[in-house]
Amino acid sequence: MKLKKYLTLTRAGIIESLQYRLSTFVMVIGNLLYLIVVYFLWRAIYNSADSDVVNGMTFYDTLIYLVLATALYGFMEIYAVWEMGRAIQSGKIVLDLLKPMEYRSHLFWSYSGTFIVNFIATFLPTFLVVAIVTHGTIHFGLNLLFFVISVVFAVSINYSIDFLVGTICLYTESIWGINIMKQMVVLLLSGATIPLAFFPDTLRTVVSYLPFQSIYNAPLTLLLNGTPDPQEVLRTIGTQIIWCIVMMLLSKGFWKVSLRQITVNGG
Amino acid sequence: MSPIIEIKNITKEFKVLNRREGLKGSLKDLFSRDYKTVRAVDNISMSIEQGEIVGYLGPNGAGKSTTIKMMTGVLEPTSGEILVSGCVPYQNRTKNAQEIGVVFGQRSQLWWSLPLIESFRILKDIYQIPDADYDSILTLYKSLVDIEPLLHKPVRQMSLGQRTLSDILAAFLHNPKIVFLDEPTIGLDVSMKSKIRTLIQALNREKHTTVILTTHDMGDVDALCERIVIIDKGRMLYDNDIEHLKRFFGSYRTLRLRIGGDLKAHAASLQTALPECTVSADEEWISVLIDESKANVPDVLAQIQAAHTIRDLQLQEIATEDVIRKIYEEGVQ
Amino acid sequence: MQKKGFRFYLRIYFKILAQDIKSKMSYRADFIISTIGMICTNIAGFISFWILFRNFPSVNGWGYYEMLFLYGFSLVSLTPVQCLFDNNWSLRMNVFSGDFIKYCFRPINIFFYYQSEVFDIKGLGQLAFGIGTLIYAWVKLGLVFTPLMLLKMIVFLITASLIMISLQNAAAATCFWIQNSFYILDLVCRFRDYAKYPITIFSPFFRFLFTFVMPIAFIAYYPSLVILRPDEVPVLSWISPVIGCIFFFASYKFWMHGATKYSGTGS
Repeated sequence: MKLKKYLTLTRAGIIESLQYRLSTFVMVIGNLLYLIVVYFLWRAIYNSADSDVVNGMTFYDTLIYLVLATALYGFMEIYAVWEMGRAIQSGKIVLDLLKPMEYRSHLFWSYSGTFIVNFIATFLPTFLVVAIVTHGTIHFGLNLLFFVISVVFAVSINYSIDFLVGTICLYTESIWGINIMKQMVVLLLSGATIPLAFFPDTLRTVVSYLPFQSIYNAPLTLLLNGTPDPQEVLRTIGTQIIWCIVMMLLSKGFWKVSLRQITVNGG
Repeated sequence: MSPIIEIKNITKEFKVLNRREGLKGSLKDLFSRDYKTVRAVDNISMSIEQGEIVGYLGPNGAGKSTTIKMMTGVLEPTSGEILVSGCVPYQNRTKNAQEIGVVFGQRSQLWWSLPLIESFRILKDIYQIPDADYDSILTLYKSLVDIEPLLHKPVRQMSLGQRTLSDILAAFLHNPKIVFLDEPTIGLDVSMKSKIRTLIQALNREKHTTVILTTHDMGDVDALCERIVIIDKGRMLYDNDIEHLKRFFGSYRTLRLRIGGDLKAHAASLQTALPECTVSADEEWISVLIDESKANVPDVLAQIQAAHTIRDLQLQEIATEDVIRKIYEEGVQ
Repeated sequence: MQKKGFRFYLRIYFKILAQDIKSKMSYRADFIISTIGMICTNIAGFISFWILFRNFPSVNGWGYYEMLFLYGFSLVSLTPVQCLFDNNWSLRMNVFSGDFIKYCFRPINIFFYYQSEVFDIKGLGQLAFGIGTLIYAWVKLGLVFTPLMLLKMIVFLITASLIMISLQNAAAATCFWIQNSFYILDLVCRFRDYAKYPITIFSPFFRFLFTFVMPIAFIAYYPSLVILRPDEVPVLSWISPVIGCIFFFASYKFWMHGATKYSGTGS
């Protein structure tokens, strides 16, 4: 019966997202337009380059990578930091804490409905369009399975980071500043704006030791690789699992410590 | 003299979305929508003279706020005419705004993190209040309330009562002809309520300002209003002086008592002892509805006290909702 | 009652604006964090730009420093919208909660009153960043500096700002009709990131779209042509100041139309 209480939240989330008919349509159309812009921009960039392959990526590779990174962003970004920040500022957080479910899971499952709607409304159509446009550059094989597994971990890591950053709002009350900083750091260092393959070597080495690359770069690299090397796959997903656990523990721990401090101080 | 507010047969309709229920329903809503028209205000007419204090009553969703929004020029009526101080509010919103002041009980219009005096200074500029008028109204305020400690306190640090008080002062600052007060005493304690009522009364008397007051608190009405307008479901139910209405609510009060023993039995025996009252009982309380034109409260109380030891008691005014129900049941004129 | 002329509004503007700065200062931590966030955003944007051009020396015939010029130009022209019209972002919340009604009761223009309430100081950091980039690119490109050039720069920067402001006004005003209009604002915000690329990379259809429908090409491309490619300036560049004014006026009318239609929620 435990699962049922989570699924109820998912269902409520789906209903709530669907209430906003126009925003759903705007989301779909806007996303497609955005893809077109990215397409033209990178085609122009590649046309101006000396060779067809830059840093081991063809135009189609880069296109798929960036477009799907945007699509992944579209469905993973649930503005949890905003939600937490606002709940903390308004004091609504107290009510949320009284609910018979851990706040961290409650927030996650409340958003799971949005995940599903966004996945269907933005990610799937984008995926199909890009698969058709790039004429079979996406290999339909085991790599899809690895991609899906990898995305699940990516969602978890992304949420942990969001929750961790959201917890900071308990101390600072600066939602906007914290959020914009998080967004920029995550988008840049995860390879969502520019594929990590294009980064200079030193920067790439630094980034590879950070959790962010597990969010966008890991699943997308797995997807683009049509002939996966088992060792490579194992290493990528293994790294993700480690980050997933580390970030989960970190965010849970930080939340617990912060909450104790807040209740002691009577904030 | 022509009336300051003249309303003739105004009606306001809204289009509301009929939402379907459940997951299936929201999917359906995504593709086809079903609207219905709701008539929030239905053919209301009234005219209000300069200097009147009018109590504008009705249950939640009766159309009070909609009427006020039309009088303030925020909404355009679907049909009918409104004239506020000689001009049509929604056609001359800024001109109209110069003549009115508005207070919404729970929503402060002051600058949240500024001391009150700073807000006043901004308002002085916005409303182009001449220095002399500004000084004289501040002097008046100082004579009416203890404003000094409030002036230098940021609004966000004020208690709800202080904030309401400040909002009312801000609304009267530019010496408007009409002030709309929406639930000014909601959520306040008894002493703050009476403080605010005294202030409104004094300002009305000093400045001869017309006050339109919406409230759920019959205490406000009793203390302030000469004239009452009641609407329900968008329709006008009553528009007359308060004496007329007293028959329906002023003369009734409920005495609630807590006594030991079998309440049902006690209630039955009290009912026979007090034939002019209506006695009922729940798990904890015995309620005695007293018609004050037939019996007075102290007498009834004395009579009960003779027979029982009273542990606790409350005296309740009849609520707006009850007044409206009684008007429905018994008619007015 | 005196007539409410330009001087009246100017006076009120600074008065209301000063109160916002005063209250921002009373939340110092938030101010500092937001400023750092803003700087981070700019640095991250710059790093992405730099990484991109490390790999591709030119785009569609536009060299690194020319692209940098466009980049700086777009940063500067985005400053006014960031600094002076930031309250548009809260419009949705104000309308939803019903707090917007307080703006309707004052005897001054609603649009003016609403926008004057917030001044975002953080935008000044962006301005400094943008001006720095512009000057650097200017020097590297070996452009001459004459008073006439400066005048052109100023006129076209204002033009670009007007276009940006118009887009944001219109996007924000959609909240008077639709709930959750956040996606529309967010979409416009994402598109303006692409304003810094030359419009020639797009196909004719999108060139038309970005010139006349969603005029992001006026934010950096058309105005920059006047400075960078004085020999091939299209008529559109020269009439862009007029177009800027027209768009601004249209967006203002649209915003006001929404505001007068607004009736407040509930109660």
